[in-house]
Amino acid sequence: MNPATSLLHSVWIAENDLRQSFKSVRHVVWSLLFPIFLMFTFSFRPDPSGGVDVEYIKNILIPGIVGMTAMFGSINETMSIVWDKSLGVFDRVLAAPVSSTSIILGKTIAGAVMGVISALVLLTIGNALFAVAFANIGAVLLIVLLASLSFTGIGTIISGLASEPREAMMLSNLLRFPMMFLGGVFFQIDAMPNPLPYIARAMPLTYATDALRNSGNMTIVFVDAVVLLAYTVGTILFGSQILMKIMTR
Amino acid sequence: MENAIEVKELTKYFGSLVAVDHISFGVKSGEIFGLLGPNGAGKTTSIRMICGMLRPTSGTAVVSGFDVAQKPTEVKRRIGLVPDISNLFSELSARVNLEFMGKLYGLDRKTRRRRIDEVLQLFQLKERENDLVRFYSKGMHRRLTIAAALLHQPDILIMDEPTSGLDAQTARLVREIIVNLNKDGRTILLTTHQIDEADRIAQRVGIIDHGHLIALNTPEQLKNTTEGMRALEIKILDGVDQEKWTPIIKEAEGVEQVFLAEGKMRILSKDLPQIIPEVVNLVDKHGGKIENIAVAQPTLEDAFINLTGKTIREEPLSKEDDVRRRMTRSRLR
Repeated sequence: MNPATSLLHSVWIAENDLRQSFKSVRHVVWSLLFPIFLMFTFSFRPDPSGGVDVEYIKNILIPGIVGMTAMFGSINETMSIVWDKSLGVFDRVLAAPVSSTSIILGKTIAGAVMGVISALVLLTIGNALFAVAFANIGAVLLIVLLASLSFTGIGTIISGLASEPREAMMLSNLLRFPMMFLGGVFFQIDAMPNPLPYIARAMPLTYATDALRNSGNMTIVFVDAVVLLAYTVGTILFGSQILMKIMTR
Repeated sequence: MENAIEVKELTKYFGSLVAVDHISFGVKSGEIFGLLGPNGAGKTTSIRMICGMLRPTSGTAVVSGFDVAQKPTEVKRRIGLVPDISNLFSELSARVNLEFMGKLYGLDRKTRRRRIDEVLQLFQLKERENDLVRFYSKGMHRRLTIAAALLHQPDILIMDEPTSGLDAQTARLVREIIVNLNKDGRTILLTTHQIDEADRIAQRVGIIDHGHLIALNTPEQLKNTTEGMRALEIKILDGVDQEKWTPIIKEAEGVEQVFLAEGKMRILSKDLPQIIPEVVNLVDKHGGKIENIAVAQPTLEDAFINLTGKTIREEPLSKEDDVRRRMTRSRLR
């Protein structure tokens, strides 16, 4: 099959996935309420004088929440594979004259797009409520995209390993919640006791939040982007391999 | 005429479990071929291998001249698959579902529009085309599933248990659709665990049990495999307690098989004149009153029982078969 057709197939698969996700308004609202609630909860942290710690909200919390939202958006979207398998709709695509690579690529595109869109919604809300200004919006977009891609890779690994939706939920929570609390979303890594900073540095979310907080410092952004790219390549290759095995049994 | 589907020694192992064991058959162009067997016999696994969705452990399947192992995409292009469950995107409308399928099968925008309108019209879904599929009834689901399989106008239609789980009226409608599609020149391979369905609509039937193809012929010829066997039907007053009467009737010499069919005990024997008085005596001795007794034409079910030694419907799955079925299902999903 020629590459252009394969790519077109991927785009249609992604479009179909996203169409389903956005079709349900409730689904979209619930998934965005979670990071919004977390943002509000942690914004009540007082500063030393007893007032609202605006600096913390602007410089630490919101960039962290944006990274975390990309993680939840991407992984949730990619896990649709497990639902598709359990409902039999995955068979519909498997039975069609579409290559396995197109299917995996389509799911990856959908996951990444969902991650980016969710993160941007939270970024907009943060900006509107707390006047968060990122130093370099181009760097922010790049990091959000790379982070979403690497989380999509994690999502494909989970989808490949889990045999049914409940197992996928548990597996994803096993990865997402430690990342959420250790990945520098609410607390800075340097303030954590040993050996937590080492664990944190093994997580892609850590690099995403670090870069989002320091979007004006190109050296930091560059290093974090390289790490996220490595994560993206690694997780997507590994996830694809597992999925490919399932599809060509 | 060249066979539309040619299956040779097709085998599938899931670990040490053999789901399909060296089955071979050919489906002629333009015929309705029924693969008949109980749940867990290996029907769905066979179909998935033929459609290129599952890799055979050994053996080959050739569809329209293309070996599925080498050219799965070519095979998929030529097949319309109707799975046993209606696997449509329930959060999308019928039209959007069909749009997506049309795109995957490479139909251009204009052809897509035209074909979608045609199939929606054909299956009387036009008025509900913009409703979400989750609001559809079971019958509508089934019709839309068949419509989706026909969108790219395949010559071969493969249907897995097309009427399973449908009420009698919808099942009849679906059977009519199948027969009409065949009249239009389509080759149809269907699986079923309903003997009368295979008998009614299939021109040839392959009987599959425990992953083996144990017989293949026209329904008429299969009925003849009962070789001199004839059937006696007795209706016992106050209902029929199969568990009670089967062992009693089996006591009569010359009785080969006893089973319940449509509320009557059906007895297969090569020597009806000898067994009739004996059976009547036995029923009488055990306090039963015979309401009706008749000699019946051999059916496909008689042939099935004669070949497999069991009925297809009433017998609960043995523990081993149940494990086979569940393991196969879980591996397929």
